[in-house]
Amino acid sequence: MSAGAKPLPRVTPDNRPFWDACRAHRLDLPWCRDCGRPHLPPGPVCPFCLSERLEWRTASGRGRISSWVVVHKDWFPAFRADIPYNVVQVELAEGPRLTANLVDMRNQDLAVGLPVEIVFDDISVEMTMPRFRVRG
Amino acid sequence: MGSIRDQTAIVGIGHSAFGRFLPDSQLKLAATAFKAALEDSGLRREDVDGIAIHLGWPLGVDYDRVAESLGLELRYVTQTWTHGRFVTHCLQHAALAVAAGLADVVACVTAISFTREREMLGGPGDAEGTREDGGTHGEAPPYGLTAPAGGAALAMQRYMALYGATSAELAAVPMALRKHALMNPLAVMKKPLGLDDHQTSRMVIDPLRLFDCCLITDGAAVVFVTSAERARDLRQKPVYISGMQGMRTGRDEFIFAPPGLGINQQPTARMTPREIDLECYRMAGIERADIDGFYTYDAFSPLVLFALERFGFCGAGEAAAWVQGGRIELGGELPVNTSGGLLSEAHVGGWNSICEMVRQLRRDAGPRQIADARFLQWGTAWGDAVILRGAQA
Repeated sequence: MSAGAKPLPRVTPDNRPFWDACRAHRLDLPWCRDCGRPHLPPGPVCPFCLSERLEWRTASGRGRISSWVVVHKDWFPAFRADIPYNVVQVELAEGPRLTANLVDMRNQDLAVGLPVEIVFDDISVEMTMPRFRVRG
Repeated sequence: MGSIRDQTAIVGIGHSAFGRFLPDSQLKLAATAFKAALEDSGLRREDVDGIAIHLGWPLGVDYDRVAESLGLELRYVTQTWTHGRFVTHCLQHAALAVAAGLADVVACVTAISFTREREMLGGPGDAEGTREDGGTHGEAPPYGLTAPAGGAALAMQRYMALYGATSAELAAVPMALRKHALMNPLAVMKKPLGLDDHQTSRMVIDPLRLFDCCLITDGAAVVFVTSAERARDLRQKPVYISGMQGMRTGRDEFIFAPPGLGINQQPTARMTPREIDLECYRMAGIERADIDGFYTYDAFSPLVLFALERFGFCGAGEAAAWVQGGRIELGGELPVNTSGGLLSEAHVGGWNSICEMVRQLRRDAGPRQIADARFLQWGTAWGDAVILRGAQA
């Protein structure tokens, strides 16, 4: 029986610029022109000051692992062949945290605090997913 | 505005059998529990005029089908959807409805067959995880992160890195709850759980092992709430709802983390509970030290640690050490989930523990009785709480 396709990211009116930037291999975040803070996940207003004057700007792509897990259970048939696979949460240098996975890394070497940088995975002509690799 | 303290009471509890792949439908489980609660309280079906459904769609039964199948006539309804987090919410809203005069007797009903509906708990069957704004436990399905266990694992991994806690320390939680379950004939788990059993059990999602994750079972529980005045005329000693506080949420909150842990967009900081974080004690007119037993939603063993810290039983990052040496076992300083919890009794959305709190305060918990139990607290990792007071207190 086919394992099926992996679920795709859900593109919405609030996060479309994020995914468009990923296609261009950029990490763009929504920044508030009033209080100057970026936020994630992309929302309709600035969650810090409620302003609607948001502007998408390119971020550094750098951060540190703030948490990680390794999945052993086959919740997703489409991920079965990847088990045991990691999922990481990264605290970007700019502040917000992003969930993705770490590539080119043994599970036993995962650690909170590892410096990472973003990489872009063109999974189809329409969709590019951000992932991370260890930096430095 | 007057306080709701002691204006309402739990006057009846009932439940079905708890087990895996039970032959009964969810509605049948609900009916069994409902009739048992009527028998327990001395109420008649016609007395029940309000309902609070906890685990509704998409897993459980909805209020209208329950009311129809039990032949009820109701004037007050509240229902939450399929997440354990709402157990306190339902109990609170039953009390609020009675105190406001919107209902005389509210039945809190939870009837669930997790074994038959488990596809919806994670993976491709989890519709919430893939909707516009995603799941509510930090899910990231495109990366294979799914199910409540995913969020609990993210939180525990960071907790271990920040505070040096270990899986072996965490094991004290499921080990304590298993000891309690072994004193409870209703509990699904019947074998002792030692440290070696825990440490050699399979990893589900690192750092959570099999015994760090709740049971997947079927069962139902019903709890009746009415006014303190009405409670005096009924069959059992009333168990008063003395204090409460609501569920916390916001940018500083992640459902499965204490404030300041740094999951999702939470800031990272060692937090000390403020007055507003402890408002349930003030409402009940007691101090935290007056709590004789603590009950919490233990879907995953870290949630017990986080709940203890949230209410200040110990400081941020201290709970893993705090639960060692039998402190949370019967006979210890603060017994937790004395009937075995979701980890070892059964997964009834936490209502198995609410029923146990009521038994304890009626002085009817048999070998599990906490001596002189006067005040018991149900409190969760997400900050809501109910404090129950026994009639002798």
